[in-house]
Amino acid sequence: MPAASGKRFKPSKYVPVSAAAIFLVGATTLFFAFTCPGLSLYISPVIPVYNAVVFLFVLANFSMATFMDPGIFPRAEEDEDKEDDFRAPLYKTVEIKGIQVRMKWCATCRFYRPPRCSHCSVCDNCVEEFDHHCPWVNNCIGRRNYRYFFLFLLSLTTHIMGVFGFGLLYVLYQVEELSGVRMAVTMVVMCVAGLFFIPVAGLTGFHVVLVARGRTTNEQVTGKFRGGVNPFTNGCCKNVSRVLCSSPAPRYLGRPKAEQTVLVRPPFLRPEVSDGQITVKIMDNGIQTELKRTKSKGSLEVTESQSADAEPPPPPKPDLSRYTGLRTHLTLATNEDSSLLGKDSPPTPTMYKYRPGYSSSSSSAALPHSTSAKLSRVNSLKEPNSICESSRKPSYRSEPSLEPESFRSPTFGKSFHFDPLSSGSRSSSLKSAQGTGFEMGHLQSIRSEGTTSTSYKSLVNQTRNGSLSYDSLLTPSDSPDFESVQAGPEPDPPVGYTSPFLSARIAQQRETDLHGRFASAVSPKHAPPREPSPVRYDNLSRHIVASIQEREKLLQQPPAPGREEDVGLVDSGIQSTPGSSNAPRTSSSSDDSKRSPLGKNPLTRPAPPRFGKPEPPHALRVRSLGSPDQPAAPHLGKSVSYSSQKPASQASVPETEEVALQPLLAPKDEVQMRTAYSKSNGQPKSLGSAPPGPGQVPLSSPTRGGVKKVSGVGGTTYEISV
Amino acid sequence: MATEVHSLQELRRSASLATKVFVQRDYSDGTTCQFQTKFPPELESRIERQLFEETVKTLNGFYAEAEKIGGSSYLEGCLACATAYFIFLCMETHYEKVLKKISKYIQEQNEKIYAPRGLLLTDPLERGMRVIEISIYEDRCSSGSSSSGSSSSSSGGGGGGAGGR
Repeated sequence: MPAASGKRFKPSKYVPVSAAAIFLVGATTLFFAFTCPGLSLYISPVIPVYNAVVFLFVLANFSMATFMDPGIFPRAEEDEDKEDDFRAPLYKTVEIKGIQVRMKWCATCRFYRPPRCSHCSVCDNCVEEFDHHCPWVNNCIGRRNYRYFFLFLLSLTTHIMGVFGFGLLYVLYQVEELSGVRMAVTMVVMCVAGLFFIPVAGLTGFHVVLVARGRTTNEQVTGKFRGGVNPFTNGCCKNVSRVLCSSPAPRYLGRPKAEQTVLVRPPFLRPEVSDGQITVKIMDNGIQTELKRTKSKGSLEVTESQSADAEPPPPPKPDLSRYTGLRTHLTLATNEDSSLLGKDSPPTPTMYKYRPGYSSSSSSAALPHSTSAKLSRVNSLKEPNSICESSRKPSYRSEPSLEPESFRSPTFGKSFHFDPLSSGSRSSSLKSAQGTGFEMGHLQSIRSEGTTSTSYKSLVNQTRNGSLSYDSLLTPSDSPDFESVQAGPEPDPPVGYTSPFLSARIAQQRETDLHGRFASAVSPKHAPPREPSPVRYDNLSRHIVASIQEREKLLQQPPAPGREEDVGLVDSGIQSTPGSSNAPRTSSSSDDSKRSPLGKNPLTRPAPPRFGKPEPPHALRVRSLGSPDQPAAPHLGKSVSYSSQKPASQASVPETEEVALQPLLAPKDEVQMRTAYSKSNGQPKSLGSAPPGPGQVPLSSPTRGGVKKVSGVGGTTYEISV
Repeated sequence: MATEVHSLQELRRSASLATKVFVQRDYSDGTTCQFQTKFPPELESRIERQLFEETVKTLNGFYAEAEKIGGSSYLEGCLACATAYFIFLCMETHYEKVLKKISKYIQEQNEKIYAPRGLLLTDPLERGMRVIEISIYEDRCSSGSSSSGSSSSSSGGGGGGAGGR
């Protein structure tokens, strides 16, 4: 049954099914042996016949549910997924009857799980229309055998009721002698039947409701459609008929491989050259996106394979404006299936997996992509509406794998490890989104560190790697390591890779470069000069730009004695952006904008400790920063100082302002994290473009002197040289 | 590709696998089996658009017929229940019958249309009905020159296909 080989024989997993079989067969046999003769003799011979028929039905369905392939997908072959491993996003979105559904990349099976498909950790297979893994039959219940499982439940309930009822009849009517072996056995059988009736009937009722609603157990338990619309339902009658009356689906495994009898021999016919369109209108499941690209993305794999070998096409700059941040990031990667994110629908958070090597490659291709990255940021910043919109959408996330895995796989718990860090996501999808978003942030840093990304696809690995990478960013003492790692992959040449992470990488490099100049001046720790970040922050929302400009003005003003006040104000300004940026990020990552409180907090409170709280979006940042205040201080000082040193170039380099406004990390790290967040959430949050931002910045009083102290995220205090 | 020693008789044109195009499923109507009719750009120069679309549309029609919930499928289910599913040992389900038709159709399409153009359709059933795989072959001259740029990776990938099974 399982597609994976090399499984150890675990007798423990056969215990429930053995127990179930023993109880079922044993009790029924006793019933037939001890109760039925008397009943048939004194009441009616139909009784045993009826019970036999029902029991046969139970056995048949039980066997089918146990031994039938639930609809296991065979592992995708390598050529289907050549370059996906390191560049493809973790989620692919499709629109099903107007509802955005996410398809998650399955690292084990190496394809994007179709809707309603989930990976069973017990069986280690992706199962089509995964319902649940039933220990009583020791099998997954999926598309192919759900009908048999359902009928098994129905028939078992009927059988139990029959056994109990007829046993009661036997006892009550004292068909034979009250005391005797038969009576005792009948009583025992009745007890067993009565005992099992309650859970079985409960489960049967539960599945009756599921069938009527057109949901799977997995979807019900994970709350996928809670408060939302189920795109897979066709009405109660059609749902029931689909379960019971549809033709059994074929199995995918164990099929004889068809021999290829057709020979392909040149010379080949070629069609007449029609209009060689460069612009390709891509229609993906009803989502239509027009992307002007040198290479159209007919299929995900093909485009990826193409991009693997060819030069990365320049990003479609004008079209990026149509998309919110995440989608834009997708469009940046010509080989990404970003076309799936139609412009009509707000992007669902898309997780990116990415190969660290590409960070360097993208860096060298920074210039051509910088504008696209910029545009992506523009869109991400300028379209908070899309975030709200997406969050307001029926919070349906096709994340079947996440919850079940959490049930069954202890490793998934690791993703929940980040839950406290992420905002108090109320739904599992939120959590997963957060986790994945968090992971993406981690991945950004990981990428810069040049780690391999083979494991990035798995939730656990991502988080695991992410946490490690974040730790490296925590303290400035680690920064040299980080920088050295940063410098490492940078010189690598691009290999035709244009991924959503390109912008992150570009931003990161820009950040490093921008801050590198000041770093050398301000802190000896950040010695290596960083190349200019290709990300231009002139695409920030007007609020952010306004706040940045305000800040610039304040910084340019002659220092005033009220340094503390200034610090507080500046701090609030600074804090506001991260907070605000966190807010949209979290809201985007979750299906509903529940993060707003988080975003609002920083705005209202200038106190640094606020950021020390492990709020979900902040948690990520705080984590990345690390708790200690002192290590973070130099970072902030650097960033702020460099921002203050660039008042003239403010218009041209708004990103510096942005960086200054977010002195949470070393600018490079910050950019990484920001881009990571924006990417992970699929929402444009990259540069803390929350509306509260501008409100805060103007509050900053003019700088007071050569150095002022600003409180940053995580309660760190930064020395800002003005 | 491994180096080959060409004898004079072998100096004839042969085709090598260049790349593979994957036509994804169209989930816009739920989980019913449909494939996207969007024309992959890689096939732009290899096959006419209408031919491809017609193939995919016909396949979609076949799958719709296979999954149709009607009288025949209902009767089949009843019969199966009545025989405690032993009927499945003897009889083919409706879906399987349609799959056989699909397989025949794909083979016929390959013979008539795709192979002459250096393309090859793969039955989506082999891929778990997730994609239609179209292999693109390049005309490889006997000199052994490599085919198009992506052939190296694709051919290598194609060779090691079933590793994950």
